[in-house]
Amino acid sequence: MIKKTIQNIILEFEPEAKNILPALKKISAVFGYVSEEDVKIMAEYFGVSESKIFETASFYDEIKTEKQPEILIQICNSANCTVNNSFSIISEVENFLKIKAGSSASSKFKLEEISCLGRCADGPVMVVNGKIFERVTKSSLHGILGEYL
Amino acid sequence: MKDIKIITEYWGKINPLKIEDYINVGGYTALEKFVSKMNPEKAIEEIQKSGLCGRGGAGFPMGDKLGMVAKQTGEKYFICNLEESEPGTYKDRLVVDNNPHLLLEGIIISALSIGAQKAYIYINGNYEKQKEILEIVILQAKEKKYWGENILGSKFSLEIEIFSGAGAYICGEETALINSIEGNRGEPKIRPPFPTSAGLFGCPTAVSNAETISNIPWIISNGGKKYSIIGSKNSPGTKLFLLNGAVAKPGCYEAPTGITVKKLIDDYAGGIKRGKEFWFAQIGGACGKLLLEKELKAKMEFGKECECSLGSGSILVVDKSVNIHDLLISWTDFFRRESCGKCVPCREGTFRLWEIAKRFRDGEISDRDKEAIQDILWTLDNTTFCPLGKFAGTAFRDAVGKGIVKF
Ligand SMILES: Cc1cc2nc3c(=O)[nH]c(=O)nc-3n(C[C@H](O)[C@H](O)[C@H](O)COP(=O)(O)O)c2cc1C
Ligand code: SF4
Ligand code: FES
Repeated sequence: MIKKTIQNIILEFEPEAKNILPALKKISAVFGYVSEEDVKIMAEYFGVSESKIFETASFYDEIKTEKQPEILIQICNSANCTVNNSFSIISEVENFLKIKAGSSASSKFKLEEISCLGRCADGPVMVVNGKIFERVTKSSLHGILGEYL
Repeated sequence: MKDIKIITEYWGKINPLKIEDYINVGGYTALEKFVSKMNPEKAIEEIQKSGLCGRGGAGFPMGDKLGMVAKQTGEKYFICNLEESEPGTYKDRLVVDNNPHLLLEGIIISALSIGAQKAYIYINGNYEKQKEILEIVILQAKEKKYWGENILGSKFSLEIEIFSGAGAYICGEETALINSIEGNRGEPKIRPPFPTSAGLFGCPTAVSNAETISNIPWIISNGGKKYSIIGSKNSPGTKLFLLNGAVAKPGCYEAPTGITVKKLIDDYAGGIKRGKEFWFAQIGGACGKLLLEKELKAKMEFGKECECSLGSGSILVVDKSVNIHDLLISWTDFFRRESCGKCVPCREGTFRLWEIAKRFRDGEISDRDKEAIQDILWTLDNTTFCPLGKFAGTAFRDAVGKGIVKF
């Protein structure tokens, strides 16, 4: 397999304003985050300032501007999932992994509370490293996490 | 139930990925009628007559919006808003899952009626599967010459492109959405100018919700007058309602506008789930009002005079077993996280409200907090730059004002 480089990713996009966000999304998805070096290359390619690229990149949840933990656990805490007990799932993860939601203290795990993913009928909804799990219960939770630990 | 079905008529009955299935039930005949027997002015006239108003939350008349852009000259755009990140709301996703060609036909007709050269579909970044569905049906429709150069041999041409969002609730707001396609932070823009005069890349642009657009083929085929007599007088038609929480049969139901919340819960969603006791219902997502049992006769419609705006059409039924502290934190955390940060009252106000909700849960709420709540709610309501901030306190205000929480 040819290793993807930032150069051959951005070459997939015409240097037009409307491709800035799609290109950032792709870079973040391929490398896990958009680095300072990537921002420089993007800025040059699109003919805009580095701060402009960074401003855009840092705004969106799907685009990361920092190296991500090995295991990123995200749990929806919007109203429908809340009514379906997402808060007890969040506490269970906190107790089990000895981490706090929102904290970056551990470099291995991170637990984030996130907004509705539109799967409200099948909540609580949990995302682990991008993979979505629905109707999570305290017992199914341990099985899911077991796969990653 | 013998309700008229406009959007859900063929859900589950046709294969959404087969264009032939859609054509066999009369699909794309509205587009054929538009290109061969109508002209853009006539089409917009029918849409105006129908009284169809926006299903994205604000309820603006669709025909008027199209008319405003149609009368402008030069390059123009049509944008289908499929960002749909209002909590509890997934109706537009269901439209794509179950009958994507209906939406596509609506997009093509709407775009041609305003003289747009290009239509964008701005889709929620999490809707990956739906993006794939749209890619497939867009290709199928191109092969049949329903879009592209010289549509069905006519003088009409149109390009269609999907643009995928990147996780930001505020990007559902039309000017923030436009900023996002332009490669900027998804912050709302000041208006005027309205997108209808200076929108995407400075060109006149009509942004419409996916559900609104899905009504267009029916209106073109059956005439605006016939549509205008369905449902409520001020905001006619049918609406997709999502009922979730403590109801016996949660799900998506199409019902005429003007229906009461009570009827939706009892006749459509099978009433309250056994063993659960009704507490209150939240109407229209995170920014929606809370209704107590005695208020359930509120009619679901749009407009300045209506009792309770139906918003996105989602109805969350909350029963007495739910921990209200969790919900207060859920609402406030949502707005804290999704505030775009452009204006101070919203950025700070949503954050403070969330902190207070947490202290309240932990039994540490102070008198100062209690006083601050009213100030924060007032500030959000009256001083924020865009509607996100304005409605960030709605549920909290109702929870306090209607005695759902007591300090
Ligand atoms: C914070 C905020 C979020 C919004 N989110 C959406 C959305 O997800 N989908 C949508 O269609 N409209 C959304 N809107 C409304 C749009 O700004 C716009 O009014 C709508 O897309 C117009 O289409 P309509 O007239 O068909 O409703 C949102 C508005 C605000 C203020
Ligand atoms: S009200 Fe909130 S979301 Fe709207 S512009 Fe201000 S900070 Fe951004
Ligand atoms: S509320 Fe959690 S997915 Fe919608």
